[in-house]
Order: sequence, then structure tokens, then C-alpha cells
Amino acid sequence: MEIKTAEYNIWAEGAIIHYEGTLRLSGTDAYQDILTMMQAVLAGNPPMITMDLTQLEFLNSSGINLLAKFTIELRKHPDVAVKVLGSTRIPWQSKSLPNLQKLHKGLELVLA
Amino acid sequence: MMIGATKQAVGGLLTSFRAKFVALIGAAVLLSLLMGGAIALWNVQQLSRDASSEIESGLSKATEEYLTRYIDMTAQRADLMFARTYDQVNLLAQFSQSLIDQPALGTEISTLLGEFPNFQDTLVYNPKGNWVQNSEGGSSVVSVWGYLLDNSGNMQPGVEQAVRDTSNFGLIAPYIMTTGPSKLQSYYLGPRAYPFLRTTPFSEQAQTFDKLYPGHNDQNWWDFFFPGIYEAWQGWAGHPEARPVQTEITVVAPYVDAVTGKLIVSFFHPLYTQSRKDVAGIVGVDVTPDQLTELIQGVKIAESGFAFLAQQDGNVVTIGQAGESLLGIAPEKIEGSGVQSFDMSLANSRFADIANLKVPPAGTTTITEVTVDKDGTPQKLIVALHPLAAMNMWQPNAGILAQNMVIGFVVPDSEIYASLYAAQNEIAAATNRIAQGILISIVSFLIVVLAVSVEISRRFTAGLVVLADAAGRLARADYDIQVPIRGRDEVARVGGAFNTMAREIREHTETLEQRVADRTRQLASANDEIQSLYVKLKDENIRMGAELDIARRIQAMVLPTLAEHNRIPDLEIASHVEPADEVGGDYYDVLYTQGRARIGIGDVTGHGVESGVLMLMVQSVAMALHERGLDDPNVFLEVLNRAIYKNIERTQSGKHLSLAFLDYADRSITISGQHEEFILIRKDATVRRIDTIDLGFPIGLEEDITAFLSSIQVPFEPGDMMVLYSDGVTEAESETGDLYEMDRLIASALRHHQKTATDAVVEMIADLKAHIGTQKVHDDITLVILKHR
Repeated sequence: MEIKTAEYNIWAEGAIIHYEGTLRLSGTDAYQDILTMMQAVLAGNPPMITMDLTQLEFLNSSGINLLAKFTIELRKHPDVAVKVLGSTRIPWQSKSLPNLQKLHKGLELVLA
Repeated sequence: MMIGATKQAVGGLLTSFRAKFVALIGAAVLLSLLMGGAIALWNVQQLSRDASSEIESGLSKATEEYLTRYIDMTAQRADLMFARTYDQVNLLAQFSQSLIDQPALGTEISTLLGEFPNFQDTLVYNPKGNWVQNSEGGSSVVSVWGYLLDNSGNMQPGVEQAVRDTSNFGLIAPYIMTTGPSKLQSYYLGPRAYPFLRTTPFSEQAQTFDKLYPGHNDQNWWDFFFPGIYEAWQGWAGHPEARPVQTEITVVAPYVDAVTGKLIVSFFHPLYTQSRKDVAGIVGVDVTPDQLTELIQGVKIAESGFAFLAQQDGNVVTIGQAGESLLGIAPEKIEGSGVQSFDMSLANSRFADIANLKVPPAGTTTITEVTVDKDGTPQKLIVALHPLAAMNMWQPNAGILAQNMVIGFVVPDSEIYASLYAAQNEIAAATNRIAQGILISIVSFLIVVLAVSVEISRRFTAGLVVLADAAGRLARADYDIQVPIRGRDEVARVGGAFNTMAREIREHTETLEQRVADRTRQLASANDEIQSLYVKLKDENIRMGAELDIARRIQAMVLPTLAEHNRIPDLEIASHVEPADEVGGDYYDVLYTQGRARIGIGDVTGHGVESGVLMLMVQSVAMALHERGLDDPNVFLEVLNRAIYKNIERTQSGKHLSLAFLDYADRSITISGQHEEFILIRKDATVRRIDTIDLGFPIGLEEDITAFLSSIQVPFEPGDMMVLYSDGVTEAESETGDLYEMDRLIASALRHHQKTATDAVVEMIADLKAHIGTQKVHDDITLVILKHR
């Protein structure tokens, strides 16, 4: 599974979802395809889902909203472990990713 | 198309390569033919000139020879005629002389003859004329003049004897008359002593003499008629060498005969006495010049050529009327000198050329070309002159001289050279015919050459014509054209190349057509899509335009007024809110009621009307809660979150927002809620960044956010400046894609923190715009500056 444009590239390797590039889609609806892909990974009911955001240089507020919604959904699956990989190098990540942990206590946030 | 092509072919004939080829051949052939023709013509003309000249010279020579021979022959005949007359005169003279030399025989014969009536002279005196003459019937007539008679009219005795002695003349004279050249008469004339006249045949001669020569009977006959002649003969007597020409015969130039009244030429032969000491009378014959004229007039040369006979001095004796006129001469009677003579001398001709004619020496012929005037036009005559044999000729006032009569032939040049002119005309005609022939052959040959060269050129240029037509068809986009290749010459090679090119063009064109057709289909289909998309987009644009408009109006509605900015006593507040193309959901408000000041700032996720409405809800709730006097920031946020969360659930908008509040009271600021970092620039330019991550939680995500709420309190002294902003500021992109980020924002704030809030906002926005340049602004830009007065 892969969603790829000139701006960004999002693909899933098993239960690991990779995010690369700049995501500046307009509105929540625009993120529906990405959410569908993430939900598909979740539908596989893996023991752990990893979201690797270390290469995602920019994510606008709608994108952050997407991550928050998906995190809230993950809370309903306590048997699925969640790991979020982030980078302190990227300003938005250290600002927004801690909120995901607040939404889902089981979410493992790794800011490196 | 075919008609057009044919027309083009016809029109092209004049300018085509083929026409030039034919013209070149034609010109070359024509030039060579003309040169050849000209040379041939020149040669023919030269030849004709040569031939003409040759013929002329030949003809001239032939004419000269002919004239010479003819005149020689005629002269010989004339000489012969004279010779025969001479012979008869000589015969007559010999007979008479022999009787003189033998007087006894003469007397005997006379006596004997006296017995024959035919020889009896019965002389009768004529008192009127004072002469005696025998009557008609005798063999001859004897006339004895008065001065030979006595007073009774009888002959003096000596005279009578002499008459009787000459009766024998009648024996021979009649025979002389009937033989030889035709003669007018023959006669015996007595010596000076008794010059009676005995003439055969009989005629009334004395009567005629009286009529023609009145007074002749008063003078001696010799002296009257031929003065000097008798004396000349007397000189010859015994001295034959004294004769100018060695003959006894003397010719008298033409004169009018007293007896016959005719113009005659007399041939006299003197008789001598037995002793040869004196003249004893003469015998003679008269020949009319007409007899010579028969000969002369028998001469016919060409058309009107004639002959004439002249004496040595040029006096013309025999000539026709036409001849007289042509030579410009006329007879003149010479009076008072014996017998009547005529002078019609060439020397008196009115034409100089004729007058200057010279009698050639004996035995030679001269041919002279003279010019006379005939009827006012000059005419060239050829005059041949040939003298006859010399003769003793008596002329009045001149005596007896050796003279050559001259035969002249006169023929108009035009006639004698008629054959030459005819030949020349014939040559000229032949030349013309040859010239015409040459011209005809040139034209014919040229026609043949042109016809052949047209055919040849057609073959030569057939390939070119086919190529030209084919190229024309190719130009009219007939790409199926192929030309037939014949032979292996250059044209064939061009044809081959043409075929290849035409084929390539056709293939290329066909492929091109296919490609164009495909592309057209694609374009048509794309166009359909574009059209439908355009329709959709048009709808979408209208919709979005409307939404944008609504969103802008909502944002504008809820933003605090300038008055609201400035009603807080200690604080100077200035702001800059700039919506992006798609209006975001930046929230900013200044709440102030009953001394309680609260500034809120937030950012709704997403854009558009929904975000705007959410912001409007937030503003309304915040306003309501503030008015209710809810001072605890955490409670404030918790109630607000709950209200918004429920509304979001109801509207299923799926959005949330960051939201933080800044409460001011007594030089102290309390910050609560999660938003961007707050930047506090102290009056002494020290900077404090106030992180709000742990002071709250996004509004609308969770129903209960109590666990995440917190607040922080910082002093805010006069001169201090607080910078509030939305992420549209820090995340503003430069042209090179660099985000503005905190460092640049803080540096900008430091540069302007001593200014008033209003000025600082203007300057800091200017700095930000400098960073953005022409780059697209993705998000709303909200900058709020609080300055402690």
C-alpha cells in the first residue's frame, strides 16, 4: 500500500506506516485516503502499529487532526500496541506529537 | 484538373525547357542555313556575273566576228558586183578599142551593118533642141548636139563618119545589157572633138537632157557634165601609171541620170586613139545604185540592223530612210557642177559619234560603238565599216581620185546584244530561281529540323515534363504520384529520386494524418473531460468563492474592533490578521469586562466555512463565559471545551482547535491553554519563550480535558512586550522553501520591541513579508503584540 505524490510518500510495510515529505492537504476530507490506508493496517489487527514520522518534514493542522483522530481510534483497540517515531529536528513534531500520547496512554512516542 | 494541367502544358510550351531546346536547335540550324544560303547565293550571283561577263565578252567577240565576216562577205559581193560590171565595161571597151585600133575593120563592119535597118542611124534634126537624134526602133539611140552640126542642121562631116563608125556599138551593147548585172544603159561617148552619145537601149535621151540639164547643148558635153574628167583621162593616155587605181574604169559618184532621170552610178572606160596619145571617147554603163542597194538592203542584222554604202569621204550612197534618220543624215543636192550629185555625208551627221567615224584602211573592218539619239532617247549602235576595193572615182570639183567605197553595217546595240541581255535575264532569272530554291530548301529544311527537334525534344524532355507535372500534382497534395522511369540518364535519376521523395512524403503524410487523427481524438476526448471538469470547476469555484466570502465575513465579524483593543488601561494591543487565499480558522479576541482583561488566540484545523463557524462558536462561548465572570482559566477552558466538543459531535465536523488565553491583571499575565509558544520580550530585551504544550489540550478532541489543563503566571512590567501568533507566521515559507520559524520571529521582535505595539506589528509584519517574498501564503497569518504601556 502506497500513496505517493511529488510532495509526499506514505506507505505501509506490514504494520509499519512510513510518512515522508510535506503534507499540506486542504481539509480533513483530503486526508481520507491516508486515513483509509491507516485504518486498513489497523483492520489487519496487528500486535503493534508503528507510525514512522521521522521523515515527515511538515504536517498542517488538518494532518495533525488526522493523527489525533486515528490515535483516538487506536484507544479502542487496547490489544494493539502503538509506537510513534518522531524527530526533535522537526518543530511541529515536538509541539504536536505529545498530544497523541495524552490521547492514548498506551502510545509509545519516540522522539529522537 | 486535367483542363488546368493541359492549359499549363500549353502555356509552358513557350517557356519550357523543351521550347528553349527547340528554339536553340532552330536558331542554330537557321543560322547555319542562312549562312550557307547566303554563301550559295553569293556564289550563284558571282557565277551569274562571271557567266554574264563571259557571255558578254564571248558574245561581243562572236558579234564582232559575225559582223566582220558578214561585212567582209558583203564587201566581197559588192566588189564582185563591181568587178562584173568592170568586166562587162572592159569587154565593151576592148571591143570598141579593137575597132579603133583597126579602123579598116571598123569601117567595114559599119558599112556592112549599114545595110541592116536595125543598125541604120536615121538622124533627125530637132530644131527645138538643136540636136539630131535617130528615131525609135534602132538598137541604140544616137544624139548629136547642136555644136556638132552645121548651120543646116546636118552633122559636120567628121562627126557623121564617127557616128557611122560607132554603129558597131549596137552589135555588142544589147548583149552587154542583157547579161551580167542589171544595167540601166550602156553607151558610147565621143571624144571632146565630137562628144555625141550613142546609147543602148533606145530612149529619147536628148529630150531628157534638155529637160534635166538646160543649156547643156551650148557647151561641150564633157565640160558640161564631167568637168575635168576628160583631161584626166588624157593624162592617162600612154601613161597607164598615172591612173590612181590600176584600172581604166572610172566610177562617177551617184548622180541623177539625164536620160532616165534616175540616180545612177556610171562606170566609164576611156578609149584611146590608135597611137594612145589621146582619148578617143569612152564606153560606159550606168548602174542604178538600187542594184547595189539590193545587195546592201539584203543585209539584215538582228531586228533592224541595216547596211549602207558610202564613199570614202563619208558621202552615203545607199541607205534606207530609217537608216538616214538613225544616223542623222539627209541628202543634199549639189548644184552647178555638171551632173546632179547628192551629198549625204556622215560627216554632216547631227550625231557627233557618227560624224567622227573614220573609214578604215582597205581590207580591214572597224567596229565602233556609237551613241545616237533616237526619238529623244540615247541609243547605242554598233557600226561596222569595211572599205571596198579601191576604184578611180570622179567627183565634182575633185577630179579622179583613188577612192574606196565603204560598206557600213549599223545595228542597235540592244539588238545585237539582245541574246546577251536575254542570257543575262535568263541568268538573273536562274539566279532568282536558285535563290528561291535555296530559300525554299532552307525553309523546308528548317521545318524538317524543327519537326524533328520538336519530336526529339519531346523525347528528351518527356521525362522532365512528366516530372514537372508530377511535381505540380505533388504540390497539389497528390502524394500517390509516381513517375515512370525510362532509361538511365540524369532525368531518370531525378525521376527515381522524385519517386523516393514522393513515397516518403506520402508515407510521412499518411502517418502524420494517422497521428493527427489519433491526437485529435485524444484531444477531443481530453477536451470533453476538460469541458466537464470546467463545468464542475466553475460550480466548485462559485461554491468556493461563496464559501470563502462567508468565511472571510465570519472572521471579520468576530475580530475585535480597534476600540476593544484600546480599552485595557495598562496594555497597548495591536494586531495583524491576514487570511490566506483559503481562509483558515485563526481565532483572536480581546475580552474586557469590569477590569478583567483576557486575550484569546487559537487556530482551528482546516479551512473554510466550517472552520470559520467553529471559530465563531469558540468566540461566542468564550465571550459568554467571560461575561459570566468565569475567572479560573482551567474551568474556563474545560467548560469551553465541553461546549465545543458537543457541538463538534453534533455537527460531525471532525475538527478541533488549539486555544490559549492570556489573562492580565496587576502587571501580571496568566497563560493557559495549548497553542504556539508565547514570546515575552522584557524591556531589557531579554527573551522568554513560554511553551504552552503542557498548559492545555486541543479543544474539541476530547470531551474532558481537565487532566491536561494548567496555567503559568509571568510578570508583565511596563516596557515589556508579549508576542502572540498563529502557526501561519512561523510556518510561512520563503521563496526557497525555508520556514520563518521561531528564531527569525524572535529576532524581528527584538528589533522592534521598544516601539509601540502598533509600530512593532507593522515592522514585524514587514520583516515577515520580506521573508515570504513572492511565495504562496498557505495559512492565515495572525500576529498580536501586547505592550505594557
